[in-house]
Amino acid sequence: MVYCQPVSSNRPGECKVYPSRLVANLILALWVSLIDAAVATAEQHEQFFHEQVEPILIGHCLECHGADRKGELDLRTQATAIEGGESGASITPGNPAESLLYEYVSTGEMPPKQPLSESQIAVLKQWIADGAYFPDEPLSPFAISTDRRAGFDWWSLQPLSEVDPPVSPGMPAAWAENSIDRLVFAKLAEKQLHPSPPADSRTLIRRATYDLIGLPPSPAEIAEFRKACEAETGSPDRVGNRAYEALIGRLLASPRYGEHWGRHWLDVVRFGESTGFERNVIIDNAWPFRDYVIRSWNEDKPFDQFVREHLAADSLAAGDPLTEVATTFLVCGPYDNVGNSDPIQAAQIRANTVDEIIRATGETFLGLTVGCARCHDHKFDPVSQQDYYSLYAIFGGVVHGSRSIASQGQRRDLESRQQPLNQTLERLAEEKQRLEQTLLDHAEQSAADIESAWKRPPVDRKLTVETFEPVEAQYVRLVSEGSETNPRSASGYHIDEFEIWTAGESSRNVALASAGAKAEGHNRVANDFAEAYSAALTIDGRFGARWLAAAPQLTITLSQPEAINRVSFSSDRSGAAVEHHVAGFLSEYRIEVSADGENWTQVANSHDRKPINASHRRRRLIDAVQTEQQRQQLAAFDAEIGKAKAELAILPQLPVWWVGNYQQAKEPFHVFLGGNPQRQGAAVVPASLATLSKAAGSFELADDTPEPQRRQALADWIVSRNNPLTARVIANRLWHYHFGTGIVDTPSDFGYMGGRPTHPELLDWLARQLHAHQWQLKPLHRLIMTSQAYRQASDFRAEASAVDAQARLLWRFPPRRLSADEIRDSLLQIAGCLNLEMGGPGFRLYHYWEDNVATYVPRDQVGPETYRRSVYHQNARAAPVDLMSEFDSPDCAFSAPRRASTTTPLQALTLMNHSFTLDMARVLASRIDQADRNASIRLAYELLFSRLCDDQELAMASQFIEQHGLRAFCRALINTNEFVYID
Amino acid sequence: MIDQITSPEHLLKAVLSRRGFLGSAYTGLAGLGLVHLLNSELFAAEPIWRPGQGMTHFEPRAKRVLQIFCPGAASHMDLWEHKPSLEKYDGHPLPGEEGALSFQGKNGPLMKSPWPFQPAGESGKLCSTLLPHMARHVDDIAFIHSMTSKTNTHGPGCVFMNTGEDSEGFPSAGAWMSYALGSANENLPAYVAIPDIRGEPPNGKATWSNGYLPAQHQAIVLSSQQSIRNLQLPAGVSEQEELATREFLQTLNRKHLQANPGNSELSARIAAYELAARMQLSAPEVSDLAAESASTHRFFGTGDANKLKAAYARNCLLARRLLERGVRYVSLYCASRASGVDGLLNWDAHKTLKPDYERHCPVFDQPTAALLTDLKQRGMLEDTLVLWTTEFGRMPTRQEGTTGRDHNPDGFTCWMMGAGVKPGVSYGATDEFGRRAEIDPTTVWDFYATVLHILGFDHQRLTYYHNGLDRRLTSVHGNLIEEILA
Repeated sequence: MVYCQPVSSNRPGECKVYPSRLVANLILALWVSLIDAAVATAEQHEQFFHEQVEPILIGHCLECHGADRKGELDLRTQATAIEGGESGASITPGNPAESLLYEYVSTGEMPPKQPLSESQIAVLKQWIADGAYFPDEPLSPFAISTDRRAGFDWWSLQPLSEVDPPVSPGMPAAWAENSIDRLVFAKLAEKQLHPSPPADSRTLIRRATYDLIGLPPSPAEIAEFRKACEAETGSPDRVGNRAYEALIGRLLASPRYGEHWGRHWLDVVRFGESTGFERNVIIDNAWPFRDYVIRSWNEDKPFDQFVREHLAADSLAAGDPLTEVATTFLVCGPYDNVGNSDPIQAAQIRANTVDEIIRATGETFLGLTVGCARCHDHKFDPVSQQDYYSLYAIFGGVVHGSRSIASQGQRRDLESRQQPLNQTLERLAEEKQRLEQTLLDHAEQSAADIESAWKRPPVDRKLTVETFEPVEAQYVRLVSEGSETNPRSASGYHIDEFEIWTAGESSRNVALASAGAKAEGHNRVANDFAEAYSAALTIDGRFGARWLAAAPQLTITLSQPEAINRVSFSSDRSGAAVEHHVAGFLSEYRIEVSADGENWTQVANSHDRKPINASHRRRRLIDAVQTEQQRQQLAAFDAEIGKAKAELAILPQLPVWWVGNYQQAKEPFHVFLGGNPQRQGAAVVPASLATLSKAAGSFELADDTPEPQRRQALADWIVSRNNPLTARVIANRLWHYHFGTGIVDTPSDFGYMGGRPTHPELLDWLARQLHAHQWQLKPLHRLIMTSQAYRQASDFRAEASAVDAQARLLWRFPPRRLSADEIRDSLLQIAGCLNLEMGGPGFRLYHYWEDNVATYVPRDQVGPETYRRSVYHQNARAAPVDLMSEFDSPDCAFSAPRRASTTTPLQALTLMNHSFTLDMARVLASRIDQADRNASIRLAYELLFSRLCDDQELAMASQFIEQHGLRAFCRALINTNEFVYID
Repeated sequence: MIDQITSPEHLLKAVLSRRGFLGSAYTGLAGLGLVHLLNSELFAAEPIWRPGQGMTHFEPRAKRVLQIFCPGAASHMDLWEHKPSLEKYDGHPLPGEEGALSFQGKNGPLMKSPWPFQPAGESGKLCSTLLPHMARHVDDIAFIHSMTSKTNTHGPGCVFMNTGEDSEGFPSAGAWMSYALGSANENLPAYVAIPDIRGEPPNGKATWSNGYLPAQHQAIVLSSQQSIRNLQLPAGVSEQEELATREFLQTLNRKHLQANPGNSELSARIAAYELAARMQLSAPEVSDLAAESASTHRFFGTGDANKLKAAYARNCLLARRLLERGVRYVSLYCASRASGVDGLLNWDAHKTLKPDYERHCPVFDQPTAALLTDLKQRGMLEDTLVLWTTEFGRMPTRQEGTTGRDHNPDGFTCWMMGAGVKPGVSYGATDEFGRRAEIDPTTVWDFYATVLHILGFDHQRLTYYHNGLDRRLTSVHGNLIEEILA
């Protein structure tokens, strides 16, 4: 089996350190000399095996020759190793020369991709010569980490360590105060790096404001902060601690904080507001989850509670819609809802849907790529297939979709208002039915009479012809009175061709578009391809595509008046559709002609044709016998029914939100061998991951455990204080957003394929702080942001960059580009037109078209109705919109634990040319416009860059404005690097 | 020993400083993998492959790719793979699968193709009479008649056929090429998708997505009906103002760069604005079909009375102009999405195969054939790989109660021609009825392993880290189809 190879090409700033060959050789040499010195004891064999042999077997052999038994060879026990595989015994204890295993590795034939080193080969030789010791228990690839994969001893799975932040020599006094700084400084010192001086007040307020609320500071806020700094330090440039802490306090208390950090979280949980896949239909009732997230961050809801709610709010907070909505987390990923009659494919799709939830959960909360254990044990992390399917048994009852969530009181209230209306509806339907039945009974008595008038054959979808007295006309129309499937609906039928024939000899079809005719008729709408169902298809001379009527009438206008005496039309001229509804026809109609398009004369109708089916016959019979009074009575019933339905419709509805539905499984879940639902393996029960059993403990539930309890148990286990991953992962996410890169630079992957922590002690210290603050995150923000590490200047230093180009060790504050949301929100903010209305349904920067499947087309013009913060944009999947997608707003197909920060020409095109930029430039220009041009320029600099402009800039800008005006000036400023970068 | 241990550190420094210059993969400036680079530079003798620099793993046969995609699942047994047994057993049940359930439900008896097949070219390859123009190219084509898909649903199927994964969010083959090679003509994008006038394919933009690759690897959407977004100067901005604004902007940016040395992203952004300006000049030129001769237009059929055919013909011509000017990967679509009527806007002939394909084939046939001839005459097939793909095949049976065919992921045809491809080959086959790939079953991963090979890449080594794995276009699968390599 070929599998995922650990060859990286894009891992940022990471360098794995492999045990050097030298060291291995030294150890072996020592060991060999030890053997030489004395007869090795059993204990020594065991020690040698675990220290030297086991890592080689696990790291280089067991992937194929373990559970997979490639070539029938299983090297997990001595017995199976001796027994060997297809090629025979692999080991002859005591005799390397007679052992295939030794032969294969020493000739480089195995392992196939990367041969073992000489020292490794020597280890194996020695081991076989010594008797090929194996422990009694079969070897597990999860037992230890090797240079090829992680085991249970992997760093991130170990309990949080107690950290005593050291005071390093040479540390500035200010750095000794905060534990974060002590730990950062220690790492810098290891590389002989030293930190940068503190950033000035303007830089820091801009950085902190963007960091916490995603918007630039206003000139007034800057002035206020500088004043406070001056009062404290004597200089407005030098940041005062109290002023800075007050600033952080103000920002953390701002409702904008929840919007900004909520957006981060929505990235992580792959929140998207369309179903994805082929239909990709928009979801209009998922936004309450977005509001829940924003509310929770603003309230500083303890993170453990937040996690519990995500996984199990339906049971934990039943009847409290604002909290119950949290389970949207489970169902806000993409899923295939096309429907499939093939049971094998349907089972696979269901497995894919549950898989998506398992992946999202593992990556979001645990930083574990659990999904990789779907088809086989994880190739890189100690997650077994059994573990994966334990989670399957937990989430197997989750079904995507909406549910009404409301308190009992709300439900009772609504029911009491619906009940009388529903009763009225029931009564009306009954009375109408009774009258119709009476009429029908009456009609059946004289049916023969009535039917005798129906002389002609019924209409035929393959071809229906009406011939009439020759008449001079330029306009002909087909007026439907009933469609094939519904005698009371005159619309919704198809016509593939409609022909109008001239009277007399050599009759011609004058209804062809090629003859200058035009066809008009409302059709089903397809915005992305307007001609898909258009009336023009009825006169194109071809039979394959059909007009899909959205109104009863089809009107043909001839190029000139003609003497005509015949029309013919059809919905399935080729006969290929047979009886199928794809070519649904009409049943009752009249044909009318006109010379002027205003005065119409009926020339034919279907009334003397036989009805095409029983329901049409029924309609004809009722129509034939009813009196005018009875007709009016039936119409009155319809009117009353319509009224009652309208009254029902305007009652305030209970919240029906996209929170998922939860079903108890009837049967136990099984492992799917190879990930294939058709190959069921052992039964599984809901349980925790063995991956973390050592630190976090474990649970296992009976297979009849009620569905909600399964998710509750998982949530409790995830947020258990013994679970080291949860706290590490969220602490690292915070660090990631503050500094642009996490202590682990793969925030959702703390496994072998992920990054290694640059500051493992710091990570654990932060995680412990989280526990100490009862899982509240705002205190952690404060700790991080008040650190000197965070408050450093971002100035480039070549000598430090040569050692640590990415500043992962934080010798400076790493500058970063604004995110898509920040750029758009800032433009609105500085132009003074940001609408700060919170919550509710989102806005759209695209056109949404639905015709069986959805199409999303970015809008060229966007108006003030879209001038809200970007977090309120209704983010659909596979629906890129210029300003957002170009600047790396993720597609929410997956969890996006970190956003890319790309530089592309398309960004330049968008930010230069999209009408939104021009609109913002115009509004900004009028905002800064004042008599004193220099004042305008200064204001613009403060708004965009949070700084004063110097005299040279002033002169240059002034000259440019003189020639090209303020709007052009603003357009240029919006596009500057300085605007989109934070120092 | 000691020297060996210190030298990596020395190298590390050198590479780190280069990284500082090029930026990290996540800045999208250059996806430069440190680990990979270090390992390779230490242990390999060959020059180190780096993404985005026009480098390949080995000598490529093709420099660019034209991928023609017929969405909706174009029927193999009605276009490319003749099945005489269907004629013989028309109306009989499919042995062993009577009334089997597939995507839309129950299947009826076997149904012969409504059109005869006739020998074409010197090879005498049997080809549907519905495709008289395409039949002239069979001697240059390598057919793969044994394709299989994982899914029987259009959206996942189209995404699978473009990205090697059947769920969305993964990079398409074109995005991989853009990532691997970068742009050959820096005034034009590396990857262009040309959607059909009838709309986007199933799953829409996910089929030409950059997925988890950086944003610059997404396809630029361009067709004869729609120009590149935001390419035009905004209304009300004169050219003179535009020039002055750019100059002013770059002056501000250069001043800012001087004050902030060492941030390569800043200079990259300055360069991106210059590139954008050049794109504004180049892109309209490439889209200007009026520059082509009247005979070329006639040859492609751009003036055809059938508006769908004329529109597709213009897109074919546009595709050639893009390839000519150095675009690495062009995805050209013929037909679009599922609509209110099966098979109306694409090749999804569930209910009425005959009239459906008698609408679709004339749109596809002449313009595609003309494009291939044109590429050949210009010598471009020497270094252009042409792919014809669809997401899966169709059932040999009629769908119960209809004259159409349901979805069939178990066997279908795709083909390749041009650079690196053995001409006039038919590889693999479905069973006698066309139900399942029987001889040499081939996966989408095999298909792309072969495509990458022709482009000079080992599909197992072209990787990108994302959410826990070094991902590949070929997932964890893929074998070269040696038999169709020239």
